[in-house]
Amino acid sequence: MLRVEGLTKIFDNSTDQIAGGIRDASFTLEPGTFFTLLGPSGCGKTTTLRCIAGLETPDQGVIAVEGRTLFDTKMRVNVPVEQRSVGMVFQSYAIWPHMTVAENVAFPFTVSKQRRYSKAEIADGVRRALAIVDLDGFQERPATRLSGGQQQRVALARAVVHEPRLLLLDEPLSNLDAQLRDEMRSELKRLQSKIGITTVYVTHDQSEALALSDRIAVIDRGHITQIGSPQDIYFRPANPFVARFVGATNLLTGRLIGSANGKANVEVLAGRQIQCVVPQGIDDPASVAVSIRPESIRLVARAGGAAAAGENCLAGRVSAVTFLGASRRVDVVSDGVNLQVTTAADMPLPDDGEVLLIFAPERTVAVPGKVS
Amino acid sequence: MTATDARTGRWARLSARQQAILATLLIVILAALVLPPFLFLIQGSLTIAGPTYDSVSFGLGNFEAVIRNRHFVTTSINSLIFAAASALVALVIGWVTAWIVERTNAPLKGLAYLTAIISLGTPYILYVTAWLLFFGKAGPVNHLYRTLTGSTDVLINIYSMPGMVLVEGFLWSPLAFLLVGATLRNANPELEEAARVHGAGVWDTIRRVTMRLSLPSILALSMLVFIRAIEAFEVPALVGLPGRVSVLTTDIYSNMVARAPPDIGGASALSVLMLGLVLVLLYVYGRLSRHAERFATITGKGFRPRPFDLGRLRGVAAGLLVLNFVLLLMVPMLMLVWVSLLPFFQPVTAAAFKLISLNNYRTVLASGQMELLVNTLLVAVATATVAITLTFLGAWLAVRRGPGGWIIERLATIPLVFPGLILGIAVMQVFLRIPIPLYGTLGILIWAFIINYLPYGMRYCSSGMLQIHRELEEAAAICGASALTRLRRIVAPLLAPALVAGWLFIFLMSARALSLAILLAGPRSQTMAVAMFDLWGNGQGTELAALGLMWSMLMAMIAVVFYAMARRSAAGALGRA
Repeated sequence: MLRVEGLTKIFDNSTDQIAGGIRDASFTLEPGTFFTLLGPSGCGKTTTLRCIAGLETPDQGVIAVEGRTLFDTKMRVNVPVEQRSVGMVFQSYAIWPHMTVAENVAFPFTVSKQRRYSKAEIADGVRRALAIVDLDGFQERPATRLSGGQQQRVALARAVVHEPRLLLLDEPLSNLDAQLRDEMRSELKRLQSKIGITTVYVTHDQSEALALSDRIAVIDRGHITQIGSPQDIYFRPANPFVARFVGATNLLTGRLIGSANGKANVEVLAGRQIQCVVPQGIDDPASVAVSIRPESIRLVARAGGAAAAGENCLAGRVSAVTFLGASRRVDVVSDGVNLQVTTAADMPLPDDGEVLLIFAPERTVAVPGKVS
Repeated sequence: MTATDARTGRWARLSARQQAILATLLIVILAALVLPPFLFLIQGSLTIAGPTYDSVSFGLGNFEAVIRNRHFVTTSINSLIFAAASALVALVIGWVTAWIVERTNAPLKGLAYLTAIISLGTPYILYVTAWLLFFGKAGPVNHLYRTLTGSTDVLINIYSMPGMVLVEGFLWSPLAFLLVGATLRNANPELEEAARVHGAGVWDTIRRVTMRLSLPSILALSMLVFIRAIEAFEVPALVGLPGRVSVLTTDIYSNMVARAPPDIGGASALSVLMLGLVLVLLYVYGRLSRHAERFATITGKGFRPRPFDLGRLRGVAAGLLVLNFVLLLMVPMLMLVWVSLLPFFQPVTAAAFKLISLNNYRTVLASGQMELLVNTLLVAVATATVAITLTFLGAWLAVRRGPGGWIIERLATIPLVFPGLILGIAVMQVFLRIPIPLYGTLGILIWAFIINYLPYGMRYCSSGMLQIHRELEEAAAICGASALTRLRRIVAPLLAPALVAGWLFIFLMSARALSLAILLAGPRSQTMAVAMFDLWGNGQGTELAALGLMWSMLMAMIAVVFYAMARRSAAGALGRA
């Protein structure tokens, strides 16, 4: 459906010598996929989206939708933005304040070069698009008299009214307050599966990405560092950056002792050996990071406690306890390194604070790279 | 009550009293500056001169005479046509230039800024004379026409209504460019991008989104230029009077200088009528600009606006920028350089080249023009300093809703209704009636200039003030700083960029103002603009060119500093100029 190959667009920033943009990005999407570009601000995710829309001209690469090449540096193809037939929701929504809701939504019809639409066709299309976002009846409302959430829905209706092949969303939830954001998030998910349109979504919010996406690409300083399903990204991060950026985790520096069949023995802390899964090959045995999610660790009192066979076990002492309502965060120091553990809020802790940390090898991931 | 309570209580009372004292002082000063010209102008308009000096009576006779005058209707209609047409010319040139510069990938954008910034420092009178020389009977345009056709007629008669409109439009187009540019820069580029993504081409996007979005602010701007053109004096006096096209301002001027004794009553009555007109227009402008802000959708995020790719049209756009630069800057400047090197005005011919010398520059430098320079700088510096000081304090009280803040704001913005010439007449009458011997000195000029530029100072200071979060001051108050200490230690340093920009703006405007100074300057208190006006009137165009060029160079340098400051301080820094 959407094919992006070797996409490169670099901005030279003369003031701080850090070149922004995206380098050599490649991915291919199946029809109907909800695809998310996830990364911290300034990583190049919005640049990638704008290149697909045609708002930026890439330095290099190929962009094709349903076999139609939109951009190709080698073949010297560059379809102008207005002929790419995509829908897009901007971060500021970009609802034109001098038009009514209906005029905003009807815009793709009224400027269409392919064919002329009759008044009835336009009115019908607008009504259907507004119905999808639950705003039917708001047609004549001036755009300046809409709340943030309503503006967002109008922007969405405008983006899908002409039934584009591709929907592009640039951080559409970031301008909403927390409660509205949750509401619109489920709304967006529902809409996308209802229309079944291939969607590229840009966000820096990992929980949004995990909740919405079929596939996620994590971008770090202009490079796509991992592409996969939300579960892949969360449970099998490809490197320390992904592990740390998506969800909270404990990252330990380690040394590879030996590996076989995707399993490995890694030495962490002061010479402790643990069992890990290795989703990717590790080239340098001395440069390994081990990621353990706080919720994957179980705490037991050291007095009388023991790990079951095949489980990893480290000893430590509780240094802080933070009550979070539904759960509790316990900080444990083991060999001088602080580890976070999430436990049930009512789980008793030993009075002397001496605990064992027990975690399954399947939830212990060894990735190549140093802990930064 | 403990000791500390008593102390903080006393601090609070003292602090409140400091503000109250300051507010009272400001209200008294501003009222003394702003109200007398009004009252004396109205009194003057109602005073009917009798056959002898003492036999005056009061009544509406002056108004009756003005309205009965058979020229009155023609003059009023001329004023409206002149103002509307020149606003249109200025806006069209300004909008096209601004759009090319702010929204496209055309090269040579620097030329537009160069043109605009240099025009900020150059006295209008100098520009007007340059274009008169260029388009005049013996100027290069008509000379070329006669040489090519063998005709003895002229191609362009600049001394006519179309000529006035053209020159006035040229004068205002750089400012229109800067103001339109500011609104285009502040617009959210995502609004245009959304149109492109959803299928609109470049032309559709301009027509249906860019133009429509900037329409309200363009309307407000054209109203502004319209008002300024109604109040204009330079072009009507230099182009209109010789061409026998009279407008309201030149009628008032003629009442004062072309008759002996001057018909102060008639001039005042006409002035009062004009004040009424300006008042109405300003009200409309206020409505329009409030409407304009409705569409201002600036988002906080640092956008990277993507300019339109004009493709092959880039060359055309660049050509327009070059044309703008040549017409508005090169032509007048080269014309002045040419004239300044000649003993008397001549078309550009081989014979004329033999006459070239620097004699005019020698004459100008030798003839004690130092006094002019000192006078003008003195007036400009004093005006800018006093006006900014008053409005700094006023804006602080007004924006922070201190005691009497709204009265101060009203008082400081009242002078907006005065066209320069009319304020001149009004201030003159004030000092003819009250026994303060300022008449004919630089003092009366500074006095009038301060009144005239108070609204501009207020604009700069309050827009700067609005950007300073009040918590910054409250934090200082919590630490125990009194009102005046907060003003000195917190507000003044933070407001410094806006203050400097406002100071430079008022300095530049007062250094080149003609209409306000022309009736107030005595023989010993001339300013540069007034001297240039006299030189032109005396037929000393060549010396005028030499003097004007040197002066403009100095002012252009100051204008560059101003522009750099204004760009940095605030979006609205160019304000209502």
